[in-house]
Amino acid sequence: MSLFDTIWNWCVDLLSNEIWFYLITTIVKLVLMFAVILAFVVLSVWIERRVAGWIQDRPGPNRAGIPLQLFQRFGSKEKQPLKEWLHFFGIPETCWIAKLCTWLRLDREIPTFGLMQPCLDGGKLFLKQELTPSYVRKVYFTIAPMLVLGPPMVAAAVIPFASSVATEFGVINMVVANIGIGPLWIFAVSGLSVYGLTLAGWSSNSKYPFLGGLRATAQLISYEVAMGLSIIPLLMVFSTLNMQDIVQYQADNGWTLLPLWGEGLSWQRWALMAPLALSFIIFVTCVFAEANRTPFDMAECETDLVGGYHSEYSSMKFASFFMGEYAAMVIGSALVVTLFLGGWSIGFGADEALHSVSSWLAVCCQFIMFLIKLVAFIFFFVWVRWTLPRFRWDQVMKLGWLVFLELAVANIFLTAAILYFVK
Amino acid sequence: MDFAISSILFYAFAAMALICACAVIFANNPVTSAMNMALCFAATAAILFGLGAQFLGIVQIIVYAGAILVLFLFVVMMLDIKTEEEDNSFTVFRNLVRMAPGALVSGVFAAMVFIAAIKLPGATEWNNPLCKAWDSMGELCIGKQEASEQPAVSNFGGALPALNPAAAAKELNPAISNEEAAKATDIPDVKLLGQKLFSRYNIAFVILSFALLAGTVGAVALSRKIRKD
Repeated sequence: MSLFDTIWNWCVDLLSNEIWFYLITTIVKLVLMFAVILAFVVLSVWIERRVAGWIQDRPGPNRAGIPLQLFQRFGSKEKQPLKEWLHFFGIPETCWIAKLCTWLRLDREIPTFGLMQPCLDGGKLFLKQELTPSYVRKVYFTIAPMLVLGPPMVAAAVIPFASSVATEFGVINMVVANIGIGPLWIFAVSGLSVYGLTLAGWSSNSKYPFLGGLRATAQLISYEVAMGLSIIPLLMVFSTLNMQDIVQYQADNGWTLLPLWGEGLSWQRWALMAPLALSFIIFVTCVFAEANRTPFDMAECETDLVGGYHSEYSSMKFASFFMGEYAAMVIGSALVVTLFLGGWSIGFGADEALHSVSSWLAVCCQFIMFLIKLVAFIFFFVWVRWTLPRFRWDQVMKLGWLVFLELAVANIFLTAAILYFVK
Repeated sequence: MDFAISSILFYAFAAMALICACAVIFANNPVTSAMNMALCFAATAAILFGLGAQFLGIVQIIVYAGAILVLFLFVVMMLDIKTEEEDNSFTVFRNLVRMAPGALVSGVFAAMVFIAAIKLPGATEWNNPLCKAWDSMGELCIGKQEASEQPAVSNFGGALPALNPAAAAKELNPAISNEEAAKATDIPDVKLLGQKLFSRYNIAFVILSFALLAGTVGAVALSRKIRKD
């Protein structure tokens, strides 16, 4: 028996054990989800800058690539790799291909369309001097950034990124924690990041951060109420709280906002569209407010408050707040995509068709579909930020308590009436 | 004597809850007290998760840790108390008088909780507290139907610390047969809770809602500034 066979048999034995199968698949899913979130934090910073540049009619960071000089430093003998390559393929240096390559700066760097920019930002922030003012409350000053970055990462555990696969060892459900209270888990855990903002404002022991912390607390609590109420119509339609079941329902019966397939395009389903669209609008606005993004970035509004709750932070602690904000944005987008835009479902019956070919193929396609929807919604997030001006503080609170709360409550009754009388 | 991982976690979180609860009282800084209280709520929620009552656990986090305690913190921060100053002006006798009512109330309450806890089935079997709770909950609350004989084996070798899914399914929908109920794998705790709340405990629920509404109206009335003009 060869070495390969031995290893293969050992793996099969290991996976045949129910406990090890569960542990290994969970850890793999956990690492995958974590990697996706972190990669999307980096990617959304890049998207933010490029889209900002695009909207404001300027290039944005499009140059940062991997300079070829770097490889020369590390001992690569080739001085001009582009010329070598041109010689290798027998292309003259004056022809249009060579000129195009030079124009694309291929002779100087490996182009990444600016994707290296977030990495450079990270390096810069990591190498900056860490400055802790002498008057801060040290313990809370230190744990506050962790409390901002941690919750969104934990909240990601319940978001399904593909359907399930039946292997010979058992069924792998493509969600890290398949619990019966999906959306509530995300609300609860991502709601905890308000502690980070509050403590950051308080422990900085200075006026502007304190005001920023107070604003963050008030805003997040206010919008959490409307946010929780706004998805109740949705849950009434799905009649389940399990995220995987919610997405499965949408895959079978049409996405919440696009009910084009499934049990026929009855007028009852179109009648339900009005309350669902209303709850989509309320929910998305609340997600914007929860993620502390413009037009709701009252807590760090630099015209009022210098830098808000993170005024006194520098280096990686500041970067933690920064990353936490983007992680919250990614999780918010994932939640909106899962609840309203069909999650991983490809739609139009493609899920079933792909599953009949191969479930692994279906899962891969669904994962890619989920990522595409996520990128699209992050683009929307950025688009709103660079289009709308910031609200005034009292307008934000009025909108939350006097408009969205009432609308959300009325929406619940409207949906109940439609479900009772029409369906 | 075998340990289930759920029992170890139960003791870990119970210890955490108790330590944090003590820290709430003994901490000098009010913000530290508030944060310890948040940790205490989180530990309690973790125990509820361990019992399979996911909805109750998450509501604990959303309502208490996520909203009420943040408001506490909000107020405490606004007051900006740095550390609590000890008041030495009291004499020994006055100190005793001051402490006596507190000691009495907390003593009676602690005795009540202790007696109730020790009378629960399996309370003295310290090596497997949650399993026993599992069994007894099946019998006591929703065990009019036959609970499945064999407790489900969890991934870590112990009994699953959850209510009996079959009995729960039967309770939710009495029309289904025992065979169908036995197929149920997880507790529909949200549905069970909703059903009970809106049927059996509906009057209590409505009365509580009115009390809350009265409280809200009162708070608004108190905080509202009445304009003279």
